[in-house]
Amino acid sequence: MSARAGRIGLVPARYGDRIVGGAEIVLRQMAFGLQARGWDVEILTTTALDHHSWANELEPGLHVEDGMPVRRFPVVDTTTPERGELERRILAGDTLTITEQQRWMNGGMRVPELYHHILDHADDYRALVFTPYPFWVTFACSQIAPEKSVLWTCLHDEPYAYLDLFRPVFTGSAGLLFQSGPEQDLALRIAPDVAPHEVVGCGVEVPERYDPDGFRERYGIEGRFLLYAGRREGAKGWDELLEALAAINARRDLPFTLVTMGAGEVRPPRGMEGKVVDVGFLDDDERDNAFAAADAYLQPSRYEAFSRTIMEAWLAGTPVIANGGSEVVRWHCERSGAGLTYDDELELEQCLHFLADAPQEAAAMAASGRGYVLENYTWELVLDRVEAQLEAWTEAP
Amino acid sequence: MRILMVTPYPPLRDGIASYAQQSVAALRAQGHDVEVLSPGPSAAHHHLDLVGPRGGLALAKRVRGYDKLVVQFHPDFFYPVPSSPTQRAEVSAALAVAFRLAPRVEVVVHEIDYRHGRGASPAARAARALWRQVDVVQVHSESERQRFVEAFGVPAGRVQIVEHGAAFVPRSRADRAGARASLGIEADARLFLSIGFIQPHKGYDRAIDAFRGLPAPARLDVVGSVRVEEPQFVAYAQELEDRAQAVRGAHVHVGYVSDELFDRWIIASDVVVLPYREIWSSGVLERARLLNRPVIATRVGALEEQAAGVEGVRLVDDDAQLRQAVWEFAQAEAEPFTAAPWPSAAAGRDAIQAEVVARAAQRRGGAVGAVSAHSASAQDVAFATAPLRRVRDVHLPDPGPGRGVRPFARRVVRKLTAWQMQPVVDQLNTLTRATVESVARATDAHEERGEPRERG
Repeated sequence: MSARAGRIGLVPARYGDRIVGGAEIVLRQMAFGLQARGWDVEILTTTALDHHSWANELEPGLHVEDGMPVRRFPVVDTTTPERGELERRILAGDTLTITEQQRWMNGGMRVPELYHHILDHADDYRALVFTPYPFWVTFACSQIAPEKSVLWTCLHDEPYAYLDLFRPVFTGSAGLLFQSGPEQDLALRIAPDVAPHEVVGCGVEVPERYDPDGFRERYGIEGRFLLYAGRREGAKGWDELLEALAAINARRDLPFTLVTMGAGEVRPPRGMEGKVVDVGFLDDDERDNAFAAADAYLQPSRYEAFSRTIMEAWLAGTPVIANGGSEVVRWHCERSGAGLTYDDELELEQCLHFLADAPQEAAAMAASGRGYVLENYTWELVLDRVEAQLEAWTEAP
Repeated sequence: MRILMVTPYPPLRDGIASYAQQSVAALRAQGHDVEVLSPGPSAAHHHLDLVGPRGGLALAKRVRGYDKLVVQFHPDFFYPVPSSPTQRAEVSAALAVAFRLAPRVEVVVHEIDYRHGRGASPAARAARALWRQVDVVQVHSESERQRFVEAFGVPAGRVQIVEHGAAFVPRSRADRAGARASLGIEADARLFLSIGFIQPHKGYDRAIDAFRGLPAPARLDVVGSVRVEEPQFVAYAQELEDRAQAVRGAHVHVGYVSDELFDRWIIASDVVVLPYREIWSSGVLERARLLNRPVIATRVGALEEQAAGVEGVRLVDDDAQLRQAVWEFAQAEAEPFTAAPWPSAAAGRDAIQAEVVARAAQRRGGAVGAVSAHSASAQDVAFATAPLRRVRDVHLPDPGPGRGVRPFARRVVRKLTAWQMQPVVDQLNTLTRATVESVARATDAHEERGEPRERG
């Protein structure tokens, strides 16, 4: 009987209860979920919390954090000037040679102690689950014992995904877990000979209750508002969103402020001064309250492997307005019927007009979202699928 | 024991890096405290630019805290490419300082130029002084050991032979069927595999030429990446791709190959073909051995010794033998060109002649047979390329059998000069085939334009 036998190592590059980052949050929740089901789970990660500075902020070594064994290893960051140039060329769509790709990969943060821990102790683990695919930790460490390496892939249609360097990772791991059909389709386009894989979805915690009024009161928010949650950075479409909202507001004064929670600088552009409220990092309850209080949740990112935040919005009965450039989010919106997508600023403007002009219709549209999440993406369902794949792809000790 | 290993290291994909990683894992499993220093950023604990005398001196500052220094040695890690005798002397002297400061030094020699230890030049004296600092030199064969001792004046007792694959472990768990499915290889294919960094001295073009004409289900896959983007290496990769296009069943996959993917290809294969022009010893041979796949390899460098006593390795001396070995392994006869019978005499002599030409073209594997066999074009192409095709391959003269001074001298001369002569021979044969193809293509294009051409 192989069920739940053997240790599962989950290997995110960052780990902690205050990390802002979809993949890291999901892996943390998955770790606790698997542990609760009887698996021997251990986290292998770094002492860093910030994925820009990669500063070593925590103590290395084995600690138990909220009942979870966590082994932390120090980051070595010797970012070379060349890395920035190579990164620019990758994003510009240049073809890099293999050696250039390798220099790019090794030119940033690295975690040699983690690498050697896995080199020494791979046999102690039944499976090692890595995320996300483009990080050095995943790239370097998943190839030490590929027969045990499972990827929580987080694949986006982005230039990195097409680098030759990642092909063996996609094709040679024990298995790849995908969060959506479009993510799987993308993987098959990039690597038709992709390793064993399965769409397992992504778990979302279902809040027991919401307190939207309390949220407004505690943060002094009056009137209608749009919500953005997550990392405030260019890669997530944040800057683009602010510029679009500024332009739209210049044409028509919409009755919305923008409330944002998460990490990163807000930097509102001209025209948005006083219209952006940063509530910072919120705990889970307050985050859920924010979703319930909002008129709509904005998802401006093109690079989403799943988008947990839109699920959290739908669970709270809040409509979603999302960048249609993300196939995954468009797929969710179309399947659930609970979200609108835009492909340019004018479409975003019309989405906001709809929201402003017909709030009851918008709320009615959003109503199907909660059922969509409950039918597909509760942790119970997702963990069932994850466990089935771990048992299928890896050998019990 | 605290050990510092100096080596290229993963995730850099490199044969020596992979070898080193497995050595590190084995040493650490024995309880040693091993740290790694690599020439560039990697999963190693430290990295240092080791090229030039500064590299050696910088290394000297690092070695004292360890009980033993282990160096995975390739000259390019330390000596500028190219380097003058003066530069070589400087680098050797600097490395000698590092080696002298280390309590104990072991060097695994993956490649070296013995000429640099011979003679009375300052560079040679510095090289010999450097190697005298080394407590243990590890090589992979007896001939390497003998040559090393002779060239660098190291006491024979310090030079050890270690099995190349001593610390190797499989990196893929796939079985043959699974490996094939994942690589898109037909289950019933007879798969010949040439794998490794794509460099002219690896001779993958020879494998393609040897394979030319083998019928399905045989297929040849050349797999690897260009290690250094030198123009001649990039051009060679392109040449291989062009060459494979003209050979049915031949495929070239230029791209990043991880350790796992490397092993998966070997598992998927029926035989590994190593048509090297020159090599020291072969990690691929060891991996094929580890994964229980037969090997066809050229008798160069120390491959003969490396393969001694290994079941399933067939060594060949030239292209003709390589082709024979490949074809015998395929257990194949050339596919009949057509199921149709020969033309009858009533069809006329020209019809029979056309069939002869077409079938011969087919045997050659399509080099001049890409056009319709019975078309006028096929005959024209055959006609145009005939003078070139009549030129036979060049081979180094066989020293012949027998005992005595003369046969021995011939064998010695051949051994001593082969490293210089074989590339010239290969290049001549390559040039001949390329010329045939070029003329064939030009003739074909001429025909397609419908331009009349005179026959002599």
